[in-house]
Amino acid sequence: MTGRPIISIAGVRLSFGGVAALDGVDLEVPEGQIVGIIGPNGAGKTTLFDCISGFRRPDSGSITLHGSPQGDVELTSRAPYERTALGIGRTFQNARLFKSMPIRDILRAVQHDRMKRSGFFRSVLGLGGSVLDEQEVTDRADEVLELVGLSAHGDKPAMELSTGMLRLCELAAVVAVRPRLLLLDEPSSGIAQKETEALGPLLRRLAEYLNATLLMIEHDMPLIMGISDTMIAMAGGRVITVGPPAEVREHPEVLTSYLGAKATA
Amino acid sequence: MIHTTFSILSGGLVAGAVYALLAMGLVLIYKATRIPNFAYGGMASFLAFFHYNLVTGRRVSLNLDLLYLHIHGGVTVHLSFWAALPVTLAAAALLGWFIERLIIRPFAKASMVTLIIVTLGLNLLLTAVAEQVFGTKDLVVSNAHAIFSRSPVLSLGGVNFTYERLGVVAIVVVLSAGVWAFFRFTATGLAIRAVATDRDVASLLGVSVRQLSVVSWVTGSMVAAVAGVALASIVISSNPGLLFVLSIKGFAAAIVGGMVSFPIAVAAGFGIGIGEELVRQTIVQHDTKLYTGAPEVLTLGAVIVVLALRPRWIFKGIRDDEDTGITGRGGGSELFLVRWIDPVEAYRLLRAAIPTTSPGLRRTTRGIRIGVVAGLALFAVTFPFLPLPAFWTLPANLTLIYLLVVLSFVVLVGWLGQISVAQGAFLAVGGAGVAVCANTLHLPFPLPILGGVLLSIPVSILIGLPALRLRGLHLVVATLAFGLAAERALLPRFSEGGVRVVLPTYMRSDRALYYFFLAVTVVAFVLAGRMKATRVGRSFFAIRDSETVASAYGIRPVRVKLTGFVVSGAIASLAGSMLTYQLGALNAGYGSVAFSIEWLAYSVVAGITSIAGPIIGALFFGLYPELAKSTVSASNISHIQEIFAAVLLIVIMAVNPEGLASMSRFVRSRASAHEDDDGASDAEDLAAIEAAATAERHLEELPLEADADGDIDAEEAALSGAPS
Repeated sequence: MTGRPIISIAGVRLSFGGVAALDGVDLEVPEGQIVGIIGPNGAGKTTLFDCISGFRRPDSGSITLHGSPQGDVELTSRAPYERTALGIGRTFQNARLFKSMPIRDILRAVQHDRMKRSGFFRSVLGLGGSVLDEQEVTDRADEVLELVGLSAHGDKPAMELSTGMLRLCELAAVVAVRPRLLLLDEPSSGIAQKETEALGPLLRRLAEYLNATLLMIEHDMPLIMGISDTMIAMAGGRVITVGPPAEVREHPEVLTSYLGAKATA
Repeated sequence: MIHTTFSILSGGLVAGAVYALLAMGLVLIYKATRIPNFAYGGMASFLAFFHYNLVTGRRVSLNLDLLYLHIHGGVTVHLSFWAALPVTLAAAALLGWFIERLIIRPFAKASMVTLIIVTLGLNLLLTAVAEQVFGTKDLVVSNAHAIFSRSPVLSLGGVNFTYERLGVVAIVVVLSAGVWAFFRFTATGLAIRAVATDRDVASLLGVSVRQLSVVSWVTGSMVAAVAGVALASIVISSNPGLLFVLSIKGFAAAIVGGMVSFPIAVAAGFGIGIGEELVRQTIVQHDTKLYTGAPEVLTLGAVIVVLALRPRWIFKGIRDDEDTGITGRGGGSELFLVRWIDPVEAYRLLRAAIPTTSPGLRRTTRGIRIGVVAGLALFAVTFPFLPLPAFWTLPANLTLIYLLVVLSFVVLVGWLGQISVAQGAFLAVGGAGVAVCANTLHLPFPLPILGGVLLSIPVSILIGLPALRLRGLHLVVATLAFGLAAERALLPRFSEGGVRVVLPTYMRSDRALYYFFLAVTVVAFVLAGRMKATRVGRSFFAIRDSETVASAYGIRPVRVKLTGFVVSGAIASLAGSMLTYQLGALNAGYGSVAFSIEWLAYSVVAGITSIAGPIIGALFFGLYPELAKSTVSASNISHIQEIFAAVLLIVIMAVNPEGLASMSRFVRSRASAHEDDDGASDAEDLAAIEAAATAERHLEELPLEADADGDIDAEEAALSGAPS
């Protein structure tokens, strides 16, 4: 454990019409680890992701990204695309992508920030290094496609993919952006149990490939227990406990609020 | 002072009453079905003409000659104003039912963008049918046929109020009260409110969404009839185009009411009416010349501001359509035609009939495509030397201009996913730029064209700015408002004032101008194609498919959308600049909102996402009709072509929103989708993960910092069944 946090969340609160979705979240995510977030429905996990990636603005509290190209950055006033540029990537619970675009084009589109030599006129006229930029992002797209095993499907539009392939494609897209902090919202949802077991090693490998910190929400206990270095348990908009997976699983509050609830369901 | 107040009230109330009626009907339909009915003006004007023809005793005749179908029939009816009213209302009910059943129902699950295009197409259809059946002549209401007597009944502060004016206002008040009571006290009204709040929950609770859809369309259509008849009787002279323009103000009022609030919509209708009258009287006192278009500019400008600021109290009831999804293929395939002719079955039959294997077939289709492109290119290059009749010259040049018009729609609607019906206004902007550069600044020939294009950039940003905050329905209304303001204020100044531009002598030969246009068009297409294939185009597609996801991947919606508006506006102004030189002056017909909607429809039919779309569109809807116009005398122009295009538009939207140009690709993907339905998708998922597992083994060969855990690898390979 490096101990150094990549992101610090302090006192983040957000309510929707009187209901506190996040009720004072304090959290430090250690850099370079795979960190799993568990918690029952409505615990505020996705809302927390929305706050980190910029799709929701907390009512109060601060979120600070450490060690970005611009140093330590307070995120709460930044737009989602600025946060992407600072090295935060995320996927969505329901595997959302650009449905009409062929996969290879999606993987090229998401790298647009890397194309420094491709302003409007230079791209359209094919001048000033924009051709080289194109070549680079295409090579990168092919590399990432191979990484997730979708090379054979590069020309298919996303909407023609099955749920499992769409998940892989989404992972490929977020990897192509090369984030330092990768937020995955239930990567196993919508795919069959058997495949979930193969997903763990793939996620680990992607994190290593990017040399990134991986923060993931997951309901599949074997999967998340298997790959997490650190686990966070949330309930009622608050962090209950943080620690090694085995400890978190045995934490009494986790047992009652999460596993207990699951057992009765 | 009192005089002015009363005269503003008197004039404004009547117009406002009609806007309020239109807004009410729109809200009714939107509440029950969530469909923004851009065909409402077309419905109102169709029914107004229907009524007018019954009253004047004009012969209503139908003459159709289509292939084997020859229908010639006609009846002469002559009814009194009041006797014609129930007949019109019955016809309205029938029209509403017919539209709901045949056109709207198949699109129940379609995206907002699809619904907007379909109802715009329906508007085109109704207008064209009205012109075909009732003629294009203005409807002139003589005193004897007016809804109420025009003689004054009461005089307040020196202003005469007539029965007519009071009558129209009274109708609106009574109808509003009726609608309010309907929603408040009847079970159906309650059901519509439930559906408006949450469609799914309402239908789970046993509310028949379909039945409500029928009820709202039938009632809405009858309200449209009343509005149309009332409007026709107060404006004295009108034509379908004018009624459409007026209906846009009804739309603006409905939008201010968030499309769901009756009281706010009605109040906004009166507000717009009175506001316009206020502007009119204030300006007329000072300068009549300044008056042209001023009410439209100011009131519609106010609407754009309201939309862009999005105050909470207006928009709380509106759902925010996240994915504009023009390429969404879900939805519309329930259209009756599609059930008869299943494209997938047709494709399979075709495949079975052609014995060649698939690569051979692909080679053949590719060969055909290359052949067609080469043929078209050869034709375009050698055209001026072909032994064709002289009247081909103008249509050929116009076709090149139409190519650019369609291209501007392709960029904005097809690639960026933003619907605008203000493209016609950009033709006017281009023309105005040319006129200023050539006549005022005295720039030599090709430069004014550049001037027209440059002038479009600030205008594009102006239109694009509301687009940054608006999506779908609201964006269309904002661009409608802008287009209308340009049509009313900008066009008359440049077209009727006789601003003429003259080509230099060396460009006056037909061949020189044709080749110049051809060169410009080809360059524009090549650059647009380049844009599509590179970074800029990909950002457009990303924004089109989902703004949220795009910004999650670092794409800036604001910058990308403005770029798209500027590029599309520049292409349209280029077309406008060329058109101005071609015709010698700006022609008002090309800058109107009606022109924009018509060409939006043609663009969608031809293929809004493809670079081949403009070619199909310009040839079918540009060259062919222009040639027809050159050969037939002006009085014989048929609206069959517009009707055909509008019907085709609706069918295309149901079958494949990407249009004709991508039909073959679409059928292929549908066929493979059907095959997927047969095999379990789980199997495919497993195969995908398997492939991922295999890929990981490749990865170890890659020079990466791969800390491979052998156990997990083996375990995973065993699980996924991949051979190790």
